[in-house]
Amino acid sequence: MEESKLKAARLLLQMRDHLATDAGKELAEKVGFVYQLNISPKKLGVDEEIFVVDLKKGAVSKGPYEGKPDATFTFTDDDFLAISSGKLNPQMAFIRGKLKIKGSISAAQKFTPDIFPKPSKL
Amino acid sequence: MATRHLITGQNNCAPDGASSSNPFGALANALLGQSSKAQSIKELPGASVNVPTTSDYSTSAPLSTIPGSENEFRQDQRPPGWGTEFIHGGSANDWVESFRPPGHPVVGGPAPNFAEFDQIYSNAGTTSGPALDGPPQRVLSGVLHSFLSSGRAGVPFQPVPIPALGLSEGDKQCIRDRSCIMARHILADQPEEYIQAQVNTLLHSLDIDNNHRMRNPLQGPYPEMEEYWNQSQNALRSAPMHNAADQWITEFGKQNNNPDDWAHSFEQHHGPNGWASEFEQHQSQMGMGQMGGANMANLAAMQQSRMLAQTLSSNNDPKFQNSKFFQFVSKMSRGELIIEDNQVKQGSASQSSGWADEFQTQYNANANSWADQFVHEELSQGADKWVSEFSSERNQGGLNEKWADEFSKLHVDDEWAEEFSGGAFGESSADPWADEFQNQLSASKQNSGASRGVYVFSEMNPYVGHPNPMQEGQELFRKGLLSEAALALEAEVLKNPDNAEGWRLLGVTHAENDDDQQAIAAMLRAQEANPTNLEVLLALGVSHTNELEQGEALRYLSRWLQNHPKYGGLAPPQPTDSFYGPDVIRLFNEAAKMSPEDADVHIVLGVLYNLSREYDKAIASFKTALQLKPHDYSLWNKLGATQANSIQSADAVLAYQQALDLKPNYVRAWANMGISYANQGLYEDSIRYYVRAVSMNPKADNAWQYLRISLGNASRSDMTAACDSRNLDVLQKEFPL
Repeated sequence: MEESKLKAARLLLQMRDHLATDAGKELAEKVGFVYQLNISPKKLGVDEEIFVVDLKKGAVSKGPYEGKPDATFTFTDDDFLAISSGKLNPQMAFIRGKLKIKGSISAAQKFTPDIFPKPSKL
Repeated sequence: MATRHLITGQNNCAPDGASSSNPFGALANALLGQSSKAQSIKELPGASVNVPTTSDYSTSAPLSTIPGSENEFRQDQRPPGWGTEFIHGGSANDWVESFRPPGHPVVGGPAPNFAEFDQIYSNAGTTSGPALDGPPQRVLSGVLHSFLSSGRAGVPFQPVPIPALGLSEGDKQCIRDRSCIMARHILADQPEEYIQAQVNTLLHSLDIDNNHRMRNPLQGPYPEMEEYWNQSQNALRSAPMHNAADQWITEFGKQNNNPDDWAHSFEQHHGPNGWASEFEQHQSQMGMGQMGGANMANLAAMQQSRMLAQTLSSNNDPKFQNSKFFQFVSKMSRGELIIEDNQVKQGSASQSSGWADEFQTQYNANANSWADQFVHEELSQGADKWVSEFSSERNQGGLNEKWADEFSKLHVDDEWAEEFSGGAFGESSADPWADEFQNQLSASKQNSGASRGVYVFSEMNPYVGHPNPMQEGQELFRKGLLSEAALALEAEVLKNPDNAEGWRLLGVTHAENDDDQQAIAAMLRAQEANPTNLEVLLALGVSHTNELEQGEALRYLSRWLQNHPKYGGLAPPQPTDSFYGPDVIRLFNEAAKMSPEDADVHIVLGVLYNLSREYDKAIASFKTALQLKPHDYSLWNKLGATQANSIQSADAVLAYQQALDLKPNYVRAWANMGISYANQGLYEDSIRYYVRAVSMNPKADNAWQYLRISLGNASRSDMTAACDSRNLDVLQKEFPL
């Protein structure tokens, strides 16, 4: 995960740290789903990297989920960042074809910007 | 939309670059103008004209005293000299002459060359050598002159009998729209009725029907509307923007509390036919056939509901409501509401009621579902099911506002509504709709020119024309007025595009204002002008780090070392473009050994350790640097941000506080403070800091987005509407710090 060149990877690393904190644990408890993220650098589906955000266990890892994730999202690096920062509404992204979703709707509904940590700016 | 933008008319009269052949644009520039005469002469097409230096107008009221114009200067790469020309350069005739290409004879008689005039006046493409013959132009500018001077003198404008000008519809619309806007600038201190009377007289004497409503082709509705919105909220709160729909809106304002009356007066003013025919015109103008009714319908519905939701969001202030309503209507008038073109194409009398119903149904249908979906941005429904849910919810909507209710009573036509529900929405599938929407969005994105790495200038810049914007910018920056400083520095780099220091300081200003995109864009220009400036290279490294762009950040930080007079020797002799983080860190550690008293080396090391996520080392580096430079507020912020990113948010708050003690207007630190509280789950507190950040820099988009998220987390969704409409007054009142 550390080796990934994706911006998403950096954010997810921060998320992994964040999930270890009290606020992070609370957040994971509130959501309680497992999300798989398929993220490509530029073009959907090309050079995809797969991450798992497990909010049941409060863990973030690289590689496909062993088992069936509650929802799987496919998007580009930039769009993922835009969604996680609240710049892009996931629903809008979906409608615009920037985001593909597989899995349970109720799980997908909880995939919102507030589950992601906000990077502080130097 | 900047008022000048409106006036110079890139929307429906002439695109950028061509508006110089537009008398109203010129006149507007004259009124708001700021450029030197010499410059303007050079810019004239067919510029073989000598322009007299005396003028009837050069002695008239100083431009700076025009009320309402203080903030209306538009920054523009296109030299705005036309206006100055118009005012200072000579009589109207000279000015008109200047449009004539060399050797082109003046046509003496009153035989106006309409076609050519039309071409010049509203033509979109031609910028070179417009062939223009005198009479209509001359008459027109004469009329405009007298209009202008009567405005200055404060006497009612006397209509003058003039020959038929043969103005095209487009011309008329231009004149109509712009004269309304301009009159408001010139006569800002006059009562509304007076302004309207003036404009009406002018339009009347030009044989232009003032009852038409402003319209625009369907280009980039989003940014435009949003800017309209901001404008109506801020600049024009005290003097609501009017356009050719003057009467209508005023009427609405007066009758605001009595929808029934309003509806009546609406009808009186426009009559069923007026609207309908206008509507029809739109259709033919815009070639709606190609776009497909269903797609348009959906698109329009979305946009409209967005506006509706805003309208509904808060309506305490009648003016506020007024301006929103105006937008809403003006949106409709641009043809974005052409949904059932099949309906409207038929007879004109029934069309009016058809339109009303269409609106009504739209309103019913959309107020709930669409507004919820798109405006409140909640995943309230599964995205998969979204389309079908939408159609099932379509009929559930209730009326949320009285006037719409009244409106519906006025024109009841169930048949139509049925057709509507069975038609466009029912049949349309999501895919073409989404495509359409996406095209629209990408188009509007292009229009706004906000691509990465390209500096986006503010539309209205009062510092353009300032004798020494650089000094002013430095002074403002020193005082901590970041947004103002950015404007002054923008004026400087417009004047001197190669001023590396101007660009650098502009970049620093944006970084402190929490806008890394603009900071990067400005720093890239600074680097262009001076490729080896160490501060610029460091700033680029920091900003790219903030944007999570490791590779770029590493590249600039390595260049910092290569270009350093002292440590340059440490860098590998063959500069490569592939940098390996640990190698770079090793080199900087060597540099730190060479001169442990150099705070800058420790700062770069701190950034590099941030990149490699070795936060403890990063914190140590910044702390070392702080011992050497304890009053560097940006250093305190860097320390805080590093602590926050390594989940030490409580410590981060202390560091930010140090930064803010040193620089109270440090927007970035305020925003970071909010992030730290949010990371600790203290959402209420985070809201207060975000609100402080956005009230200092309303363009801090990140902070706005985070604010919205925190509002949701703090169960304060009641304030999301205020957040979406960027209503600072409400937010500041609700969340004082």
